[in-house]
Parts: sequence; C-alpha cells; structure tokens
Amino acid sequence: MTNSQSAVRISDMDKYYGTFHALKGINLDIAKGEKIVICGPSGSGKSTLIRCINRLEEHQVGSINVLGTELDDNLDNIDEIRRETGMVFQHFNLFPHMTVLENCILAPMLVRKQERHLAERDAMELLTKVKIPEQAEKYPGQLSGGQQQRVAIARALCMKPAIMLFDEPTSALDPEMISEVLDVMVGLAHEGMTMICVTHEMGFARQVADRVIFMDGGEVIEQAPPDQFFDNPQHERTQAFLGQILGH
Amino acid sequence: MAQTYSGPGVFKRIRDDYFSTRLNTVVTLGFAAFVIWVVWSLFGWGIQQAIWSPADKDHCGHGSGGACWAVIAARWRLIFFGLFPFEEQWRSGIACAAIVLTGGLSCVPWFWSARRLSALWIIGFAVFYCLMRGGFFGLTLVSEQNWGGLSLTIFIFASVTLIGMPLAIVFALLRQSRLPWIARTMGVVIDTIRSLPLLSILFTFAIVIPFVLPGWMIGDKLYRVIVGYALFFACYQAEIIRGGIQSLPAGQDEAAMALGMSYWNRISYIILPQAFRNALPATINQLVITFKETSLVVIIGFFEILASGNAAYGNAEWNFAHVEVYCFVGLIYFTFVFALSRYGAYLERRMAVVER
Ligand SMILES: Nc1ncnc2c1ncn2[C@@H]1O[C@H](COP(=O)(O)OP(=O)(O)OP(=O)(O)O)[C@@H](O)[C@H]1O
Ligand SMILES: [Mg+2]
Repeated sequence: MTNSQSAVRISDMDKYYGTFHALKGINLDIAKGEKIVICGPSGSGKSTLIRCINRLEEHQVGSINVLGTELDDNLDNIDEIRRETGMVFQHFNLFPHMTVLENCILAPMLVRKQERHLAERDAMELLTKVKIPEQAEKYPGQLSGGQQQRVAIARALCMKPAIMLFDEPTSALDPEMISEVLDVMVGLAHEGMTMICVTHEMGFARQVADRVIFMDGGEVIEQAPPDQFFDNPQHERTQAFLGQILGH
Repeated sequence: MAQTYSGPGVFKRIRDDYFSTRLNTVVTLGFAAFVIWVVWSLFGWGIQQAIWSPADKDHCGHGSGGACWAVIAARWRLIFFGLFPFEEQWRSGIACAAIVLTGGLSCVPWFWSARRLSALWIIGFAVFYCLMRGGFFGLTLVSEQNWGGLSLTIFIFASVTLIGMPLAIVFALLRQSRLPWIARTMGVVIDTIRSLPLLSILFTFAIVIPFVLPGWMIGDKLYRVIVGYALFFACYQAEIIRGGIQSLPAGQDEAAMALGMSYWNRISYIILPQAFRNALPATINQLVITFKETSLVVIIGFFEILASGNAAYGNAEWNFAHVEVYCFVGLIYFTFVFALSRYGAYLERRMAVVER
C-alpha cells in the first residue's frame, strides 16, 4: 500500500522520553521532491520529529517508512535509511580534527566505499556549489559560522542523499551569515531535493516550501501551502504563533 | 613606512620585573645568591672534585669531598643489564635500543595508523624477545629470570603500555555501553582495581595466580606481572579516556550517525581521536607514573634498574657510593620521563595549531 511517490511516511507515531509524551499521534506523508517547513514554539517537538526520521531518536508507537524502508529495530534498515538521508544541525557538528575536505570524504569512503580520488572529486564539486572550494584544506575552527554550515551541507550532500533534513540550520548564525546559507538551501530546493526543514525563516518558507507544518505540544496542529498558511491560518494557536514571530 | 614594535629593552624588563621595589631587590639578590651557592656546591661535588676513573678509586670517600663516579665506570654494565650473562650483554643492549627506537618511531606522525603501528611494535618486540631470550642461531638461552637492569624496566613499561592501552579503550567503551548491566559491571571492575594498591595486584599475579590457574595458563612470572600491571594501568587509563569521550559534544556522534557511519567507524574516526586529544595531558601523566612505578617489580624479585643499581654499590668494594649510583639511576629515569613529557608538550602544540 506504500505509495511509491512517498519519501517519508509517518503513521500514528508516538515518541516518549521516559514518561514524557514528546510526540503525539503524528501522521505525515511527504512526497518525493516535496519541500516541507516545520515551525512551532520552542519545545513543541520539531527537532524530535525530524530526528526520529533518521533514528537519532527512537519512536515507540506507530511506523515510519522512508523511501520504502521501514524504520524498525532492524539495524540494516536503519543503516539504509541513514545512507539515504542527510542531516544538517543547528550547531554544524563538523569534525574539528579533520580538514573541510576530510570531513566531506570520510563517510563516502567508509560507508559508500567510494575510492578516495572519486570522493575528493565529488567533494570539491559540492564545495564549489556551496561556494567555498578554496577552504577545502582548512580546519572547521578556522571558518566563520556561515562557512561552517555550508561545509556541513556539502558534507551531507557528499553521501548523495535522497532526502535532506535541516534542524534550524540558521538559528546559530549571525544575521549577516544567514542569507549565504539560505541561498544554498534555495539552490538545493530548485534542484528538486526532498527537504524537511525546521526553521523560522518565513521568507524561505514562502519562497520554496510546498507545505508548512505547524507543531505545538508534540502534535501537528495545522499544515497548509505557505500562502494559505501565512495569510489565512485556520487554527488559533497557529495564529498566535504567527502573530508572535511576524511581530503583529 | 612600516614600523615594528620591539617592546621594552631587556634591561628595562629585568629591572621592572625583579628590582622594582626595595623588597623585590632583596628577594632577588638573596635568591640569586642561594641558587649560585647550590650550583657551585653541586659543581664542586659532581665535577670539580669528582673522581672519574676506577683506577683512582682509592681516593674515593677519603676526604676528596667529591663524587665518586668511578663506581659508574666500574659497574655500569650491572646497572644497565642486571644479571644478564656478561659476554651476552651486547644482546641486551641492542634489544633495549630496539625497544627505545620502536617507541621513538611510534612518536612520528607517519606511523600513526593502526596497521603501521602494530607492524612496528610486533617487529620491535620480536627483535627484543629473540635477542634477550636467544636459544637459536647459536645464541645461548637466557631465561626471563636473568633479564634485568634498564632493558627489563623498558620492556616492562613498553609491554604494560601496549597491552594496557587497547584494554583501556575497551574498558572505557564497555563502561559507556548502552546496556546497563555491562556498563555497571565494568564500572565495578574498574573501581575495584583502582582501589587496590598496585603492589597487591603485582603480588597476586606473581604469587597467587599460579595456585588458581591450570598449569598451561600460568606462564613465566614476568609475563604474569606484566599482565597484572597492564590491567591496573588499563583501569586508570580507561577513566582518563572516558573523561575525554564525555567532554565531546553529543553532536559529534550524532553527525557521524546521521552520515550512516557504523559504531566502530564512529569510535575510531570521530570519538577516539578527539577523546585522546582532550585526554592527552592526563595520558602523558599516567605514562610517566607507570614508567616510574615499574620499580615496584623489585619486590616480586625482578632485577629492574633500581634493583641493579642497589646491587651496583651493594658490595664491600663500593658500599659507600650509593649517592652516586642513585644519581645515575635518577638521571636515567629523568631522561625518559623528560623526553616523554616534552613529547606530550609537542603533541599539544601540534594539535592546538590544527584546531584553531
Ligand atoms: N533527550 C531528551 N530527554 C528528555 N526530554 C527531551 C529530550 N529531548 C527533548 N526533550 C523534550 O521534548 C520536547 C520537545 O523537544 P524538541 O527538542 O523536539 O523541541 P523543539 O521543538 O525542537 O524546540 P526548539 O525550538 O527549542 O529546538 C521538549 O519539551 C524537550 O524538553
Ligand atoms: Mg529543536
């Protein structure tokens, strides 16, 4: 019954941290090539939700299916899903003891068993795409926040994932660096990548999202295409939230 | 025109730092006088009035007022090689040099891969063992009981570190295990062994274990002591490594997981390299302590360098010269420990350059 066009399919999923009910009855079907923006107040479970998709967090009830692979306790399935999903974190999480290039080629060589020179060639291509090929031999600590985040995106792309997960990729950045990261993400969206982004960058959401999802208290409260979501929100909690972040 | 800032002159700096007030001047001069007096006395005792040649040994201790280095000249082979048969001591010397060379080479970054390091150490130990033990190619057999002196000290240290370090990594990982009963058991084992004195562990392995284990598992006393010591080392080092691992942000492991890396790849490429960096000062410290505490094996009846030092002055002919012998042995310890700590400092500098 799995729709072959589905990238991610989450059904009746619940997640607990001990006794704390962090996600409640999540149902979500994300098509291949779709761009999703998830927003909501702090502590609403946005990070938890996307971290469940690649099993950085384990869900307890319901099912998650990524590109036809069921996310269960089968380690092969988990590996398979992690190979197909790239993730970008709020705090970059680059490996500080490796150069930018080494950061990019490590997983392709170890996980995809790619040969070094091919991995390096691909990495340089992607570093060029995020506009920092000249930093390849530097260490992450020598780069600005915006540059580090672009490296992190390139590193994730080096695994040639079908789905990209972003967890507030710009919220640790100084304001003047936000746009350089968003530009890269917009470019990626135009290439047809399936993207699930937790972000409060509403301009980005309007520009590229196919659907905006609003979460609160561990539940999906409302989801709609951006125009409808921003101009005509249905749920009062959504209205209150938008009122706050858009400064009405 | 570019101007370079040269800072205040040396004279001005010294005057500002050491002679700025009357009290400072008094303290500076007093301390300088004391240092000069100590250095001068040591120079007089250790060099100027010292007796160097065993031929002049009769002058030693009879009012010459100087050190009697003649004892070293006469007895250095005992100190370095212990009870190793006299004609065969060249073997012990080369074996010792081989281990030191192996240790030195493994400090060179080129060797820093699991394959190169293990190849290096297998060769190093093989050379050491074949030369020391002999029993082929016309080399006479010298059993472990007759090994001694510096070669034995270095052998024990190298083996303890080499067995202990991988063991420490395994212990640290087990203690971090997600299965609570494994983590807890490992925690109890580590804490128990750490709460025992090293001496009691060495005794247990040297003397008690043979009663407990089946005959084929006993092995020579030397190896039992090494295993016991390695276990002790591993427990301390495991806690150091665990501290290094815990100081890493959780995001490091998560990023590696998100990239699909397996547990062992994450451990060996992401977690351990960074954990060791964080734990480097403590690790060097632990190595220094381990090197110095090899002297405890004397009590089990081994003739390591301190014991052979005791023997060097322990006869009627030289029994007055213990200070000189201890100075010499102390100098040997110092050479190794100092080299080790300088190497640690070099590594820290090297990593600091890399990361900022
Ligand atoms: N490891 C954890 N253990 C226990 N509770 C957790 C854990 N991680 C998150 N939580 C709780 O789960 C809830 C959802 O957290 P989550 O990080 O998903 O929120 P978020 O929507 O991403 O918030 P933010 O915008 O601040 O990042 C929060 O109430 C949080 O306290
Ligand atoms: Mg979050």
